[in-house]
Amino acid sequence: MTSLERHALDTAVGSIELHRGGAGGPAPLVYLHSAQGEGPGMVLLEELADTRLVLSPLFPGFGDSEGLQYIDDIEDAAFHLLDVLDRLDLVCCDLVGLSLGGWMAAELAVRWPERVRRMVLVNPVGLYVPGAPITEIFGRAPSELADELFADPNYPIAQLMRAMDAFEADPSQIPFELVRPILQAQAATAKVGWNPYLHNPKLQGRLRRVTAPTLIVHARKDGIVPRAHAEVYESAIPDATLTDLDDAAHLAPLERPGEVAKLVLEHLGD
Amino acid sequence: MRFFSFHLMPYPDLPPDYDGPAWITCPNELFDPRLGGELYNRYIDELVYAEELGFDGVCVNEHHQNAYGIMPSPNLIASILARLTSRVRIAVVGNALPLYDPPTRVAEEFAMIDCISGGRLIAGMVVGGGPEYYSFSLNPAHARERFAEAHDLILKVWTEPGPFEFTGKHYKLRYVNSWPRPIQQPHPEIWIPGVGSLETLEFVAKHRYAYMGIPYFHISVFERMFAMLREACQKEGYEADPLQLGWLVPIFVAETDAEARRRYEEHFWYFVRRLLPGINISPPGYTSVRSVENIMKNAGTFALNLDSWDEVVRGQYAIVGSPETVREQLAANIERLGVGNLLGLFQLGTLPAADTRHSLELFASEVMPKLRASFPGGDTSGASVPTPAAAPS
Repeated sequence: MTSLERHALDTAVGSIELHRGGAGGPAPLVYLHSAQGEGPGMVLLEELADTRLVLSPLFPGFGDSEGLQYIDDIEDAAFHLLDVLDRLDLVCCDLVGLSLGGWMAAELAVRWPERVRRMVLVNPVGLYVPGAPITEIFGRAPSELADELFADPNYPIAQLMRAMDAFEADPSQIPFELVRPILQAQAATAKVGWNPYLHNPKLQGRLRRVTAPTLIVHARKDGIVPRAHAEVYESAIPDATLTDLDDAAHLAPLERPGEVAKLVLEHLGD
Repeated sequence: MRFFSFHLMPYPDLPPDYDGPAWITCPNELFDPRLGGELYNRYIDELVYAEELGFDGVCVNEHHQNAYGIMPSPNLIASILARLTSRVRIAVVGNALPLYDPPTRVAEEFAMIDCISGGRLIAGMVVGGGPEYYSFSLNPAHARERFAEAHDLILKVWTEPGPFEFTGKHYKLRYVNSWPRPIQQPHPEIWIPGVGSLETLEFVAKHRYAYMGIPYFHISVFERMFAMLREACQKEGYEADPLQLGWLVPIFVAETDAEARRRYEEHFWYFVRRLLPGINISPPGYTSVRSVENIMKNAGTFALNLDSWDEVVRGQYAIVGSPETVREQLAANIERLGVGNLLGLFQLGTLPAADTRHSLELFASEVMPKLRASFPGGDTSGASVPTPAAAPS
């Protein structure tokens, strides 16, 4: 376990929070987080950093990252991430993305395929698949979402989310410092994913441009993204394989860091 | 003091076994179109009756896909009122600007209503309720900037000669040239309803518009909200005029206090327990973080949390009683809040037509004249141009 250090990175939209640690590997590994804004203190990243240089930028609106006012849609998100790669001098990197981060990784890889050496998409959103809708994440009771995000109801975040329901009638009872980051993260997610709902209608047709060998990971207990999405990614990306993860749900990298690290390192090489 | 009769046009017939939200996903199979037709006509009659009784104005508003208020197009109702009335101000409170694309539609329809009514429109502009952003799949994270841009566009339509080109972030229009233009110059009076978002208060203060406090909170919430508005006006370098402040509150008058509560209470609870659930959903990015912090302080006093009639009375969630009780409580609150516009919700929830009319009559004959004497002032001049008489029916 190699810890990551927190840095600030200046970008065109403002200063963003970046976590960086480890060294080595065939290319720097960039982790793109989900709508949960995971990254700081994440076990998966610390395991990967044992053998790899790991970089985890927080998207505008998450953590202390500024600049959400300059992001209106997924197009802006892609260009912001290109800017991040440029400012980190990452000519070519490995991308690992979870859910929203998986979508953003794919948007980078279709536009600038030469910047991506290999890629892992875990439970990615980003596509519209008829008959297989992505579960609503906005405006839901945290306790309901907890069951869809986590396989183990006793996982600490799942327990916390269930506890939040008690404050539904009077949210003023929750310390606002706990609420603020959640509100900001949700606003950031809404900016890129409210409508079209968590997808870009153009993405599927562009996936043929991805040159990076890509691993799609689908968690069998994912209550947010149906497996059909992973299947479309697999068939549309020229060099892609699909792996299922047992006993894991949408936030598999949080709940099953060891297994996900193994899959990632097997695919990317260490 | 100006007196308005405000109608939400609620749906009073949700089945007893339906316990879901009244908003967004409330199944529209529950809407009976024939009953809907009767309700629209009855509710329009109740608004027209307010003119006969001497009110200064009537108010309608916009909500979508819900049982709380079945008035997705307040402009349709306002245009009917423009024709059926001849004196009252017609306040559309308001059009949810971000829902109109392009928002020149609002400038056009409001100008039509102003023309038809002979210059009696009050043009309300609103960001739209949280549920609307689900019902329209409209990005709530863009709500405030779309509202601001749409507002600027509409004002420009009314005050600058067309055709002109408008190139904003959300609206890009090459030929803006509204026919008709409003009778009221430079434009109709503008009202902005709100629940205490700081951006809205600052916006109202900056433009010297009027702010309408939305009900269903403890009276102390209104007090804080209006104090914040006064402060915002002072920051703009002026003192707020009472006519810039409006208080919207359910009112019911009967012969005695006991009779009033007996006739009213069940209808109030239908409204609170059946029609409010779902109204308070706040989609992501809809309100700035600093405003959420401010609004959340009030969340515990939201009417959905009411348990007893005592709490209703203590918090002044509704003003219910004999003419003397209602007058006394309204006078105390008007004084306390410093408002120059009273917006009464005289029909609420399942309250039947006969009770609504009786309450309106008692209010108009025994409460309103005394309040007018206590709180003089306010523009009651009505139409700037007489409305042509309606064709005989």
